Amino acid sequence: MSNQWNDAAEELNAIVASFDLGEVSVDDLFAKLERATQIIESLEERLTATKAKVEELAPRIARVAASE
Amino acid sequence: MLEVGQFYDLVTSHLEAAFGRRQPRWIRGEVAKVFEKGHLYLDLVDAGSASSDAKRPVLNAHCWTSVWGPLKRRLADEGVSLKPGAIVAVYGYVDVYAPQGKIGFTVSAIDTAGLLGDVARRRRELIERLGAEGLLEANQRVPLSAVPLRVGLVASPGTEGFNDFTGQLLNSGYSFDVRLVTTLVQGDQAPGQIVAALAALDELHLDVICVVRGGGSKGDLACFDDERVARAIATSSTPVWTGIGHTGDESVADLVAHTRAITPTKLGEELVTRVSAWDQRYVRGPAQRIETSYQAVLDEASEFVAERRRTMIFAVRDRLRSEERHLGSVRERLLLESRHLLAAATASLATTRQLLAAYDPQRRLAQGWSLVTRHDGSAVGSLSDVALGDTVTVRVSDGRFDATITQKNGEST
Repeated sequence: MSNQWNDAAEELNAIVASFDLGEVSVDDLFAKLERATQIIESLEERLTATKAKVEELAPRIARVAASE
Repeated sequence: MLEVGQFYDLVTSHLEAAFGRRQPRWIRGEVAKVFEKGHLYLDLVDAGSASSDAKRPVLNAHCWTSVWGPLKRRLADEGVSLKPGAIVAVYGYVDVYAPQGKIGFTVSAIDTAGLLGDVARRRRELIERLGAEGLLEANQRVPLSAVPLRVGLVASPGTEGFNDFTGQLLNSGYSFDVRLVTTLVQGDQAPGQIVAALAALDELHLDVICVVRGGGSKGDLACFDDERVARAIATSSTPVWTGIGHTGDESVADLVAHTRAITPTKLGEELVTRVSAWDQRYVRGPAQRIETSYQAVLDEASEFVAERRRTMIFAVRDRLRSEERHLGSVRERLLLESRHLLAAATASLATTRQLLAAYDPQRRLAQGWSLVTRHDGSAVGSLSDVALGDTVTVRVSDGRFDATITQKNGEST
């Protein structure tokens, strides 16, 4: 999970960096934008799913943390 | 000559005069026999004398209930009992019991300080023996579980000490698994039961065995100075914790225990504290850290995705605008150059048009020139193009007419 997130984040960073460096041709632009969009949506889905799971677990963790 | 009775009267009067009620004495001896039935009956002998010596002197002492009762309670409070072998000093006087021909000794006081000193000496000697055998620290070397939840308990249910100890465990919120072995916790029968309980619980391989007894007199707690109990604790393969008596009490059992608390309540607290410390370190603490950090991780991840989304939008927009600017620039250059080309072409066309105008046949025809063509439309540019009699068409500025060749003259003519 962690590696998948990091791998995706690194690929996204590389795409952004290629834009920053002006390395993206018009021919490549759509493909890179499409790929970046896919990655962002994938990360958002994963993040949303993780948040939902955390919301389920949070009360249980809180109970343990607050127990005396 | 005296009668028997007269003789005892005489002896009695002499003895009473020298050692009677008005002449009490302290006598020190070792208890050879002891019997109690309301009154106390003691046979005292010289300390260290052999029981096999049939001629050793014996003092038949007795202590009436009125004296023995308070004395007994006081000694019991201090954990002292008169047993064979004890060295004791008694204060009293001689009496003669003529019906049995016995000289006895009525005890009016017992040197309790001496007796207590003897008890203390025997206790000290026991501790020295245990120390010499390495038993004082033996149980302390037994590893203790980090989470001692499986607890063996040697106690008497319903007593204050039992309730104090178990109350701490019950109120802790932790799931202690307590295996109780009920024993007496005072009296002559207690040591044997405690030893058996320790042995039984040791076989269960629990995390800890707790020996619990509430406060009481020294006599009540005397069983915890018993050598058998001390050895059972010292040699147990399970850590033995003691909570015996109240503040200030320290039994031999406490000395050989793995851990001692000053009261049963404190013992329970220490047990709960140990479990709680582990819980805090390995369960609650990490949970608290997770609770405070997981939101930060999620926030950071959310911010990363949002920031990357914004960056991508701006990057693509910038890239497209850059291309648009480039294309616009090219378009303008092309337009400008096209205009230049058109202007040049227009100028060139005008020049040509002017040039062509100079050669316009209509203009020549207006000047009086004419264009002669044959019947096939070909221009007549030479005399040889026509023959006499041919009909030609002559074009002038405002029309045409036909003419017949009637004469041809050369240029030279």
